[in-house]
Amino acid sequence: MGQDPDQNPDKRDFDLAAFRARQKARNRALGLLLGALVVLFFAITVVKLGVQADKRHGSSLLYDSAQHG
Amino acid sequence: MDLVSTPVRLPADWRDFYALTKPRVMTLVIFTGLCGMLAAPGAIHPVLGFAAILCIAVGAGGAAALNQWWEADIDAGMKRTAKRPLPSGRMERESARDFGFALAGGAVVTMGLAIGWLAAAILAISIFYYAWVYTVWLKPRTPQNIVIGGGAGAFPPLIGWVAVTGHITWMPVVLFLIIFFWTPPHFWALALFVQTDYAKVGIPMLPVVAGERVTRHQILLYTLLLVPLSLVPWAFAGTGAIYGVVAAALGLVFLALALRVGLRHSVPNDTMKPEKQLFAYSVLYLFALFAALVLDRFV
Repeated sequence: MGQDPDQNPDKRDFDLAAFRARQKARNRALGLLLGALVVLFFAITVVKLGVQADKRHGSSLLYDSAQHG
Repeated sequence: MDLVSTPVRLPADWRDFYALTKPRVMTLVIFTGLCGMLAAPGAIHPVLGFAAILCIAVGAGGAAALNQWWEADIDAGMKRTAKRPLPSGRMERESARDFGFALAGGAVVTMGLAIGWLAAAILAISIFYYAWVYTVWLKPRTPQNIVIGGGAGAFPPLIGWVAVTGHITWMPVVLFLIIFFWTPPHFWALALFVQTDYAKVGIPMLPVVAGERVTRHQILLYTLLLVPLSLVPWAFAGTGAIYGVVAAALGLVFLALALRVGLRHSVPNDTMKPEKQLFAYSVLYLFALFAALVLDRFV
C-alpha cells in the first residue's frame, strides 16, 4: 500500500507538478499538431482549387475552339 | 476525481507517442516513398507531394503503433524492445491502440481527399498488411512471416509513384518487388544475432525454427534473387547507366557480404560481426539504390 500523499506534502507537490507538466507538454504538442494540420489542409485546398480551375479553364478553351473552329 | 487522494498515474508523454511510430523505420519508409514519387514520370505540386509523403509516413506510424499495441507482451520479453513505451509501463495499451487507429484512419482519408483514392486504397492495404496480416496472423504462426510480411514495407515507393501518375504500371511493381526480396536477408541477418530473444518469447523466426544453417542459406538465396531483380529497371525499363552501374556495384557488395554470412557457421561466444555488417549494409544498400534511381532520372 502506498503512503497517503496528504501525509506527505513533498510527494503530493511533486506528483501534481509532474502531472501538470506532462499534461501541459501534451496539450502544447497537440495544439501545434492541430495548427499544422489546419495550415496543411488550407494549403491543400488552395492547390486543389487552383488545379480544378486550371482544368475548367483548359476544358472551356477546348470547348470554345471546337465551337468556333 | 480528487487527484491528491487517489493514486496518480502520469499521462504518457508526447515523446512516447512519437516513439510508438518507430521513427527509425519511418525514415526508410519516407525515403523510399519519396524516391518512388520522384522517379515517376510526370510531376506533382510540391504541396500535394508533401501531403502524400506525410500520409505515407503517418500511415506507417499508425501501423507501427498498432503493431506495438498488439505485441506489448512479446516486446516486454525481449531486451531489444523491452524499453518501448508499452512494455515499460509508460503508456496504457488503449492509448496506443486509439493513437494507431487515429493515425491510420487520418492518413488514409487525407490521402484520398488530397491525392486520390487509388493511392489511399494502397496505403490502407499496406497498413492492414502490416498491422494484421504480418503482426497478428503471420508473425506468431510461420517462420515465413518475414518473407510474406515484407510486402508491408514494400508499398511506399508504389504509393509515391501512384500519387504522381494516378495508375499502376509494372515499374513501381518492380520497386515493390526489390524491397520485398530485400527484406528477408535484411531481417534474417538481424534475427541471427538477436535469435535468443525471439526464442524466449516463442516467435517462430527462421533461425529459431529451422536453425542457423537454413537461415544462412535462405539469406544467400534471397540475395541471389535480389541482385538481378535490382537490375531490371536498368535492363528493361530504360533507366540510365547511373542507376545500372550503382545497382550492379551495390549488388556485388551485398552478394559478397551475404556469401560470407551464408557460408559460415557461428561458434560459441561468436561476435556475429559478418551478420551485423550485412544488416547495416542492407540499410545503406536500399538508401543508395533508390537514391541512384532518382539521380538517374534528373541527371
